[in-house]
Amino acid sequence: MIQTIELQPGITLRCFPEHRLRHGCLSIQLLRPMCREEASLNALLPAVLLRGTRQNPDLRSITLRLDTLYGASVSPLVRRVGDCQTTGLYASFIEDRFAMEGDEILAPMVAFLKELLLDPDPEDGCFRRDYVESEKRNLISTIESELNDKRVYAMTRMIRLMCREDSYGVPRLGDKEHACAVTPESLYAHYRRILRESPVNLFYVGSAPAEQIADLLRPMFAELERDYQPFSGQSAFRDCGGCEKCETMPTAQSQLCMGFTSSIHTADPEFAAMQVFNAVFGGSMTSKLFQNVREKLSLCYTVGSSYVGLKGLVTVSAGIDAASEELARKEILAQLEACQQGAITDEELTAAKQALISTLRSVHDSAGAVENYYSTAAVSGLAMTPAEYMAAVEAVSAEQTAAAAQTVQLHTVLFLKGVGA
Amino acid sequence: MTETYYAELDERVFRAVLPNGLTVAVVPRPGFSRKMAFLATDYGSIHTAFTLDGVLTVSPDGVAHYLEHKMFDLPGRDVSAEFAAMGADVNAFTSYDITAYHFTCTDHFRDCLSLLLEFVFTPYFTTESVEKEQGIIGQEIGMNDDSADTRVFENLTKAMYAEHPIRVPILGTRESIAQVTPEILHACHRALYAPANMMLCVVGDVDPDEVLEAAKAMSPTDPRPDVCKCTGLQEEMTCPQPLIEDEMDISMPTFDLGFKCEPAPDGEDGIRQEVVGDLAAEALFGESSPLYLRMYEEGLIDSSFGGGFETLSGVSMLNCGGDSEQPADVKEAILQEADRIAREGIPEEDFLRMKRSALGRRIRDLDSFESTCFRTCAYHFSQFDYFRFPAVYRQVEASELQEFLSRVVRPERCSLSIVYSLDKEEV
Repeated sequence: MIQTIELQPGITLRCFPEHRLRHGCLSIQLLRPMCREEASLNALLPAVLLRGTRQNPDLRSITLRLDTLYGASVSPLVRRVGDCQTTGLYASFIEDRFAMEGDEILAPMVAFLKELLLDPDPEDGCFRRDYVESEKRNLISTIESELNDKRVYAMTRMIRLMCREDSYGVPRLGDKEHACAVTPESLYAHYRRILRESPVNLFYVGSAPAEQIADLLRPMFAELERDYQPFSGQSAFRDCGGCEKCETMPTAQSQLCMGFTSSIHTADPEFAAMQVFNAVFGGSMTSKLFQNVREKLSLCYTVGSSYVGLKGLVTVSAGIDAASEELARKEILAQLEACQQGAITDEELTAAKQALISTLRSVHDSAGAVENYYSTAAVSGLAMTPAEYMAAVEAVSAEQTAAAAQTVQLHTVLFLKGVGA
Repeated sequence: MTETYYAELDERVFRAVLPNGLTVAVVPRPGFSRKMAFLATDYGSIHTAFTLDGVLTVSPDGVAHYLEHKMFDLPGRDVSAEFAAMGADVNAFTSYDITAYHFTCTDHFRDCLSLLLEFVFTPYFTTESVEKEQGIIGQEIGMNDDSADTRVFENLTKAMYAEHPIRVPILGTRESIAQVTPEILHACHRALYAPANMMLCVVGDVDPDEVLEAAKAMSPTDPRPDVCKCTGLQEEMTCPQPLIEDEMDISMPTFDLGFKCEPAPDGEDGIRQEVVGDLAAEALFGESSPLYLRMYEEGLIDSSFGGGFETLSGVSMLNCGGDSEQPADVKEAILQEADRIAREGIPEEDFLRMKRSALGRRIRDLDSFESTCFRTCAYHFSQFDYFRFPAVYRQVEASELQEFLSRVVRPERCSLSIVYSLDKEEV
C-alpha cells in the first residue's frame, strides 16, 4: 500500500494513496536524538518557522495564505518515538476536487511548505529576535502549563523520576531551563545543522499519485547542502533503580502513579501479547483496573494503564481521594497479580483483543491516523502493517498474556496527595 | 428511506421518521472499515424543568449527566463489556443541551446498533446502583474543580446570566446529585428519552435499510408522552456581573471573555446567525485578524487563545479566552477593535477569504465521523439540515458581520472571568 521513494540519501518520501477522504495531509519530519540539550531547540524550531517567511513575514500573512488555501492548516509537529525526537511540520488540506472553479490547493500547499521550512524571514543572518523570544515564552508557558492538568502532571513527574538516566525521562518539549537558554543564534545554528545532517521523513496521504508528490517535493531539497548522518537507532531502558515518593499539592483530588518495567519491547515476538496484557490490565473500559478500581470499588473516576513498547515500560495512573491511597494501590497490584496468575476470562481476553483490533482496523480510515501509524513505525522499528499486527493480536492466547504479565515488575511509585483546593 | 444528494459536498444522506417519532439519518461512507452510530436526545443539563402529562417536574441540577451514567446499567448485564466483546468502543456525553450515546465498531455493526438502541431505551435503576454512582460522579466533579478551563467558563456563565440554567455546571454539585433517586431518573427518562425527542445518526459503510429495520425493531412503540420543556424567561441583554475572579494552582492566569447575544431562533435563521457569529468572531479576533496579530506580538495573548460563537436553547454568546497576564487589556483591545470594524466595515476581499476558509474547514470536518454525527443531530434539533451549510455561507454578507459586532461587542453586554495563579494574584 505504501509507496516509498528515496528523494536523496536520507530523505525518504512515503505515500499512502487515499481516494475516499475529502482532505489529505503531508508531514515533514527531521529525526533527532532525544536528549536534554536538543529537546527544547527541536520543540521551538517549527514554532519559529511558522512565525514568518521572507514573502509572508508575519503570522497574519501566513494565516491569510492558509485561508486562501481553503482553511488549510500547518502545525508544528514534535514527536517522541523512543530515543528519537522528530521535529517538523504537519499540513492538512482539502482535496483539489472540492475547490471552486479550478482552484488548486495541493501544488501551492507544497510550495508554501517549502517556503516555511527553508525561507525564514532573516535578521542579520539569523532568526528574528522578537519571534524567537515570543515563541520561547510560549514554549515555557506550555511546559509550565502541564501543572494545570493534574493527571498529566503527576504522570510526567513519575516518568521523570523513573527514567532519570534514560532519554524517556526527557520531556517531549524539553525543560524550562534549556528553553530559557536558547538564543536566536543558537537556534539558527541548530536549524542549519539539522537541515544538513538529519534524516528527513516525508509522508503524504491523499489522492495524488506518488510520482507527482515526489516531483513537487524534489525542488524543496535540491539546493540544500547535505552531510547526512543516519539516526543511531533505539536502545533499551537505562535503569537506575526505582523509588517511592509522596508529595502534596493544593487540589481536591489526589493522583497515584505507578511505573513498572517489562523485558518485552516493540521488536520482540511477544510484543502483541504484551499489548493484549495491557488492554486486559488497564487499557480499556473492560479492563481489570477500570472494572474493579472504578466500577466495583468506586475509588476513582479515572484509572488506566499504558505500555511504552520501545522502553518496555508500563504505567498506571489513578485519580483518587487522598484517604484511598493504600486501598487503590493494593487493588492495582492485586489486579496485576491476577493477570500474572492467568486469571483472565475469555470475555476479558476477547474484549482486549477486539479493542486493539478495532483501533488497528480503523487506522486506514483517517489521514491523521495513517500518517501517525506509518511515520512512527518507520522510526520505532515496528515492522508490521496494521493487518499483520491485527493477525498477531488475534493469535495471542491467555497463557501468552499471563506470560507477558509475568515480565512486569513494580519499579517506581509517586503519590501526589491533594490537600484541598 | 428518503435519499438526498448534496452535490457540492458529494454527500448522500438517507432519512426517515419512524411512527414513534424517532428520526433516523444514515450517511453512507463506502469503503471505510469504521462505522459510527450516534443516538442523541434533545435533552441536556439546562433542561431541569419540564411538564410531563401536565405535571411540572423540577429535577436536581446535574440529573441529565447522572442519567447518562446510569443508562449503561441493564438487569444483570454489563453493557460496556458486551460492546467491548464485539470490539466496539462505546461512550456517551452530556452537554448543556444534548445527551448522546455513541459507538464505533468495525465488525458486528448490526448487533452493536441493536445493543445501543436497547440500552438507551431501557430504563433500569436500582437504589443501590444510583447511590453508588455518587462516588464516581463526585470524583468527576472533583476533577472539574481542579480544571482551570472548566472553572473559568463556569464562572463566566454565572457572571453573564441571571436566570438561565447555563449558570449551573453540567455535572451539578455534590449536594444536588445527592438528591437523585431512581424515581427522578425514571421520570426524566420517560419524558426526555421519548423517541420523538431523539435522533439516530449512522455514518459508515452500512445499508440504510438495515439501520432503519434495527431502529424499528428496537425502539419503543409506547404512546408519546405529553412533554413540554420549560425554557425560562428571556434574559436581559446586559450581564449582571462584569468581572468574576478566582484563583487556583495553575502556572499562568487564564481568562474567558463573553458577550451576550440574542438567542438564536430555530431553523435557517438560526444557522445564519451562527455563521454570522462565527465569521464575526474570525474578523474580530480570529488568527487572520489584525487584532490577533497585534495582541500576539505584544504578548497579551499566546497560542492558547481562541474563541467563537456559542449557541444553545435560549442562550447565545460570543466568547474568547486563553492564558494571559493581562486579561483586562485583552478585553479593552477587543472592544476598541469592534468599534473600529463597526465604523470602517470589512473589506470585501477579506470577507471572501474568510468565507472560503470557513467553508473549507467545514468540508474537511465531514471526514470526521464524530463531527458529522454530532452536527447532523445537533442541527436537526435546531430544525436545520446541516448539509445545506454551503448555501448559508453563500448568502451571508459582510454588512451582517459589521451590524452584529456593533450590536453585540459592547461593554454592558460583557463579562470577564479570570482565574489567577495562587502565588501571583494581580491587584
